[in-house]
Amino acid sequence: MTAYREVRVRTPLALKILPVLSIASFFFLWEFVVRSGIVPSTMLAAPSDVARLFVVKLTQADPDGALLQEHAWVSIQEAFTGYFLSLAVGIPLGLAMGWFVMAEGLARPVFEIIRPIPPVAWIPLTIFWFGIGLPGKVFIIFLGGLVPCVINAYVGVKMTNPTLIQMARTYGASDWQIFRQLCIPSALPMVFGALQIALACCWTNLVAAELLAADAGLGFLITMGRRLAMPEMVVLGMVMVGLTGAVIGVVIDCVEKRLLAGIRR
Amino acid sequence: MAREGETSQSKIEVRNLTKRYGELLVLDDINFDVAEGEFVAIVGPTGCGKTTFLNALSRLIPITQGHIRIDGEDADPKRHNISFVFQEPTCLPWRTVRDNVAYGMEVKGLPQAEINARLEKILELVGLTQCQNLYPNQISASMLQRIAVSRAFAVNPDLLLMDEPYGQLDVKLRFYLEDELLSLWQKLGSTVLFITHNIEEAVYVAQRILVLSNKPTKIKAEVKVDLPRPRDFRDPEFVRIRKHVTELIRWW
Repeated sequence: MTAYREVRVRTPLALKILPVLSIASFFFLWEFVVRSGIVPSTMLAAPSDVARLFVVKLTQADPDGALLQEHAWVSIQEAFTGYFLSLAVGIPLGLAMGWFVMAEGLARPVFEIIRPIPPVAWIPLTIFWFGIGLPGKVFIIFLGGLVPCVINAYVGVKMTNPTLIQMARTYGASDWQIFRQLCIPSALPMVFGALQIALACCWTNLVAAELLAADAGLGFLITMGRRLAMPEMVVLGMVMVGLTGAVIGVVIDCVEKRLLAGIRR
Repeated sequence: MAREGETSQSKIEVRNLTKRYGELLVLDDINFDVAEGEFVAIVGPTGCGKTTFLNALSRLIPITQGHIRIDGEDADPKRHNISFVFQEPTCLPWRTVRDNVAYGMEVKGLPQAEINARLEKILELVGLTQCQNLYPNQISASMLQRIAVSRAFAVNPDLLLMDEPYGQLDVKLRFYLEDELLSLWQKLGSTVLFITHNIEEAVYVAQRILVLSNKPTKIKAEVKVDLPRPRDFRDPEFVRIRKHVTELIRWW
């Protein structure tokens, strides 16, 4: 019924030029301090070296044993397995904790004890349990993603308008009906927020897990760079973590906008 | 209009209704009856416990003593059709107008065919047919309260409780919606308990007015409003009743 008119907003000229200038001077300065020897090349790699290594690593597995895209793929697999596990467990758990007294009473105390432990602290135990393969890292990532999922879903349910619940009660709605018909839809915006936050947590914990226990992946690339005293490899690993994370963020953002468009008219 | 003169047996029986919050006595031994299809308004001074009174009646809060019977059985939202229209519009923002009106019937587990049939009738009566597929944030505030009223009537309630449903609307719109409410009530024959702090509104809609006292709340007086409809608020008899109720309420 209501049509929204598209409004064009002009970006001021300064906001078009300044970002380009800012990035250009950042890289120029970086290149300059390394090339001129102000910072020794054993401590920091020049951006041009990183770019060269990037191209080389696309086709050459040495010296760390895998191609760059293979490292990235390993990391993405681990991150997403852990991420989806945390969504599958965390969201239903948080929703239930928000509404059912049993769930809140039983799960909340344990959750509150585990919550403040950084997932990285679990790494030694997971190495005992799973070794350094995929399952261990997935477990760490899962723990990292679980916390925001549970909290957001829980808070989302708690924010259900109490008058709506009273209204449903006067019609004789059961607890289960209220949970399904009122609490879950009310919590959805918060749950979608959790998708983003959990992904960020997963990605951060992934790198931490790979730094300490891995034989492939972007975090492993960083560690190898240190062992081989190749600063350009360390920086390449860091840049790739950033870039891949940013790309995933954009993808999730698009997915979320699509899904929410169907819910919030 | 035929049912206004009828006096059937009590539909609702409230006996010794008492509510205490710890030591604080809020509702003190309230007794009254409501006949089937009757429209009763409840007025009282601000803060006299009107909302507690309604919440107790709808069994949203437990009562300390006494009982509320519908058709001779203890009132129970799971068994009886009790509808409640709250002060604030209670629309589910993720449902269309049509699905919002259907909500009460869905909870009651009515068959889909019956739900659809009642929806057509109700939406037509309140003039929501045009916008039945819109979402609550796409329609005006007065429409929102009509959704709640329609949803309440749609379940064919044994008892319809209304808590100042039009308190937040302007005068013109209020008159319009009150007429609409009366026409729904006359066509569907529900039993209505209407709480308001607006005496003129009470005299306009009700067949009988229960005047509540200050806390602890008791029923202070009962006023019959035996005026023909549509009522005219400038009619001397209307004005006399309004003044009489005002005298009963005033505590200053």
